[in-house]
Amino acid sequence: MQYQGRIHQLQRELMGRYYAEVTRVATSDGPRAAYLLVSGNPVELLRAMDMLPVYPEINDLQLAVRKESLPYILEAEEFGYSTDNCAYVKADVGIFLRGGKTSYAQIPRPSLLVCNFVGCNVYLHWFEQLAEYFKAPVFNLDVPFVRDLDGKPEPGDVAYLVKQLEQLIEIAEKITGRRFDYQRLKRAVALARDAEDLWSEIKHLNKSSPAPFDGYFDAGTLMAPMYCLRGTEEGLHFFQEAYREVSERVEQRVGVLSQERFRYVIEGPPPWPYYRTFRDLFSRWGAVAVASTYSTVGGTWEWGFRHDPQRPLESIAEHMMLHNVSNRSLLLRYEQIRRYLEEWHAEALVIHSIKSCRLFSAGQGDMLDYFSRGLGVPTLLVESDLEDPRYFAEAQMRNRIDAFFETLEHRRLAKRAPALKGGAEPGEGAKV
Amino acid sequence: MDSQTSKPRPSGRVQLARYACGVDVGSTQTKAIIMDRERRIVGRTLIDTGAHVTRAAERAFQHALEQASLERSAIGFVVGTGYGRYKVTFGDTQVTEISCHGRGAHFIFPGTRTVIDMGGQDAKGIRVNPSGEVQDFVMNDKCAAGTGRFLKNAAEVLNLSLDEIGDVSLRGRSPVRLSTVCTVFVESDIMSYLAQNRSVEDILAGIHSAVAARTIALVRRVGIEEEVTFTGGVARNTGMVRSLEQKLEMVLNVSPESHYVGAIGAALFALDHVS
Amino acid sequence: MATAVDNIAARYQEALLDPSLPLVQAWKERHPGARAVGVFPVYSPVEIVHAAGMLPVGLLGAGNQLEIAYADARFQSFICSIIKSTTEMALTGRLKVFDGLVFQGICDAARNLASVMARNLPGMRVEYLHLSQNQASPAAEDYLVGEYRRFQSAMEELSGRRVTEDGLRQSIAAYNRVRALVRVLNGLRARSPELVSALECYLLARLGATLPPEGSAPVLESALVAAQGRQARPKDRVRVVVQGSFCEVPPVELISALEEAGCYILDDDLLLGWRCYEADLPTEGDPLRSLARAYLNSVRFSSVRHGLDQPRATDLVAQAKQLRADAVIYLAAKFCEPALLDYALFRQALEQAGIPHLFLEFEEKMWLVDKPRNTIETFVESLLFD
Repeated sequence: MQYQGRIHQLQRELMGRYYAEVTRVATSDGPRAAYLLVSGNPVELLRAMDMLPVYPEINDLQLAVRKESLPYILEAEEFGYSTDNCAYVKADVGIFLRGGKTSYAQIPRPSLLVCNFVGCNVYLHWFEQLAEYFKAPVFNLDVPFVRDLDGKPEPGDVAYLVKQLEQLIEIAEKITGRRFDYQRLKRAVALARDAEDLWSEIKHLNKSSPAPFDGYFDAGTLMAPMYCLRGTEEGLHFFQEAYREVSERVEQRVGVLSQERFRYVIEGPPPWPYYRTFRDLFSRWGAVAVASTYSTVGGTWEWGFRHDPQRPLESIAEHMMLHNVSNRSLLLRYEQIRRYLEEWHAEALVIHSIKSCRLFSAGQGDMLDYFSRGLGVPTLLVESDLEDPRYFAEAQMRNRIDAFFETLEHRRLAKRAPALKGGAEPGEGAKV
Repeated sequence: MDSQTSKPRPSGRVQLARYACGVDVGSTQTKAIIMDRERRIVGRTLIDTGAHVTRAAERAFQHALEQASLERSAIGFVVGTGYGRYKVTFGDTQVTEISCHGRGAHFIFPGTRTVIDMGGQDAKGIRVNPSGEVQDFVMNDKCAAGTGRFLKNAAEVLNLSLDEIGDVSLRGRSPVRLSTVCTVFVESDIMSYLAQNRSVEDILAGIHSAVAARTIALVRRVGIEEEVTFTGGVARNTGMVRSLEQKLEMVLNVSPESHYVGAIGAALFALDHVS
Repeated sequence: MATAVDNIAARYQEALLDPSLPLVQAWKERHPGARAVGVFPVYSPVEIVHAAGMLPVGLLGAGNQLEIAYADARFQSFICSIIKSTTEMALTGRLKVFDGLVFQGICDAARNLASVMARNLPGMRVEYLHLSQNQASPAAEDYLVGEYRRFQSAMEELSGRRVTEDGLRQSIAAYNRVRALVRVLNGLRARSPELVSALECYLLARLGATLPPEGSAPVLESALVAAQGRQARPKDRVRVVVQGSFCEVPPVELISALEEAGCYILDDDLLLGWRCYEADLPTEGDPLRSLARAYLNSVRFSSVRHGLDQPRATDLVAQAKQLRADAVIYLAAKFCEPALLDYALFRQALEQAGIPHLFLEFEEKMWLVDKPRNTIETFVESLLFD
């Protein structure tokens, strides 16, 4: 049982055009491609510089969903990377080692590496290494991590980041040989804001029951245009279409599943190499993810933040620092999940623990403890990987997911009709 | 999920049949239990699973029928559990072994609140309520430390059988300390200790202690509340029972039926559909 | 008296490696009402803690002295040992001796550990520092001064004592002295490795990360004198540089095994955080600015600082050449993402420079070192009989 609608097809067309452009840039001259990272990305800036944003993480996940990532990973491991290193990095190094060749696009060499250091320390290593391999210029946008327990910036944090953005603009001017166009930036930021409005609305629509879309698996589809095409007309148009479709579904009470039996919140990136398999393990139980932390790595717009064309650089800095899950502490993430559980009316939490991504995964046992034993929320922790197919054990995964929903179901039956319940009678004694 | 298959069959057979069967298809062994409506076990079998999972499930079922002197038609409902539960093609529905172990353990020891299960591939902790319903559970992560597989590797390196190592470990006076609970690297630890002339008893005592520690850390994720019942194939290992008891500072419920607990739980679930 | 330095190091070995932190306990008993702050490895501005009248102590894991019984429920199997052993120490009450804990953004796991500590240790002051990773930005210095100032206020709040500029300058001077002694000791080892072993250097540096500088400096001084007076003839050993253990510390048995297998360890990055500055920090001028400038401009390269001024692999090759090392041993903690990511580049650079190297992984709880010792011996043989 999958989502029935147009947005997936539209997304495929859109991403097809995006990767056609990526390939075109790769095969033509001129400083056009800038690499950047997904978490809290400042894509508006690149759009205004007329540079094409290329996201290694999205390139990697394209490989993974096509089940083509393993040879790239293995090539990087032969080169010197550990089996315990982030497989996104390895797949990307594999793409480099294969001269940018993939089945879906020719990946261009970077004219500029913009390392938006938003939480993930691996980002710093990753782009430092790409700079070595490509002999390309790299700029670290040092984004102060949110240290405050209420999620506020420290004095000076935002100003520090704005100064770096200005410095980045100067560097880009040198590389492209063109003066930076602030009007264009304002325009890109305004387009981003409008798309963010819609994306946020779409997320809030998932509070309705039945949920019109899956807040993890379908949200994953919507994320790519949000990063690759935010700040463009095309990107905005996509979200207008998506909003129309989702709100129609809510009006007509069309759920993503024919029968919605469980609403859960999910934490952690998905297993891209087994995206469909993983989804099926939930939908066969009538379980829908109503919200996910992963869909906020690029931004937590559902809590109200918008880019502001009146103060473009400041709002870009605020977005990078304060308004995405990656740059906020684990405790702030607990709070985000708690709100999802409450406001999106979910009864359970699933933690998908990813070996590659310690930003997400380190300490998820503590998260389990907090929700399960602290708050009494049924919580399941399963493990695999976002890029490396070797870490997905289907039988084990299925066993855990089945047991989890079975338990929820038995508990529900026990509550509703004690006479019919699947569980044992009190005092059901041994008569062996 | 699979709502078509989880419904009782609508034929009159359900009324006629008086017995229920649970088939637990594990990675190494397949168990079958037949129960009557008074929850008495009237037939049981245990065979090696081997390569043909479906055939093993069928054979175990047939043997249990023969043992109980029953015809196939006397069985009103069959529940498959364990890794191979979807291969129990003659079964009416499947239930995971977590639910089955929880219910089976509670059936044998009604005071059970926590189940520690150690099987060939998995280690798990299950918290049940006073009625035997699963409240929470945890299973080992992808690392095999704390499973029967780890002990099997260790036994092989020492040239002992899996059945012996528990008793041998009990004779260890000063257990060695393992530097790893990695299934792959335990071999080199064992070889090093042998080279240092440490006794096999001490080495095994150390191995049991390390596995017990790791398992307890895992089960702590659901909380450990008394009574604790220890199930699964490894529960027959006396050395592991003692190691766990020492570390937990409590006495564990262990049944001679421990390897049947999953099948017993499955039979109880099947019986829900018979009466 | 050739064993004087052994005695000094050995006298403290057991207490230094004891996860119940007896040296810190004893210090607190001797200073009723005084506070101690645990700092996670690498780049902690301990001078600020000290200037607030508190004792900064390196959180350096539990080595192979503690069975993990609780921490595995908080962190998964693919997380490095020091994260888990520090958590275990917290969950078993061993960190109660501290009034505060400090973490800095050296890796994703360490950052999340700060959150886990804050939740599991109610009443404990947990501070997290974001150190600048853009040394190219002229704004980085001001930012870092601001961050240290924020930290200073937090420490003042914790200790109830104001930090004065003079006080901070004195603390910088006190740690300058300890670092200088460690530097001289390491310099002696690099020149004459037969006089002082890597294990001794490590234990003495660790003493400096545990006792207040007033307490450790005299011990270091006498150890240095003892080492200089040692009578020892250089042995036919392979001269190596050890890299990769800047945070989690390998078990002492492994450090010894490296030496016993036939290596002179000319230099290493053990306890790097406590000896990261290449020179004394200025004791004049704005002290917070001195600290910020030192972090930005004059710390030794490591896998958890991204200067981008020069590839770290170039630094490593230069260091090996300067010390006339025969080889590099890359000794990385299992699951240490920064060290493992860097290895890919180090490996290429070392191969290009024609410097042989050996890659080894360790874990804190490694109790037996037969297997790595075998590997090292084979490596040493391959170099000696080449």
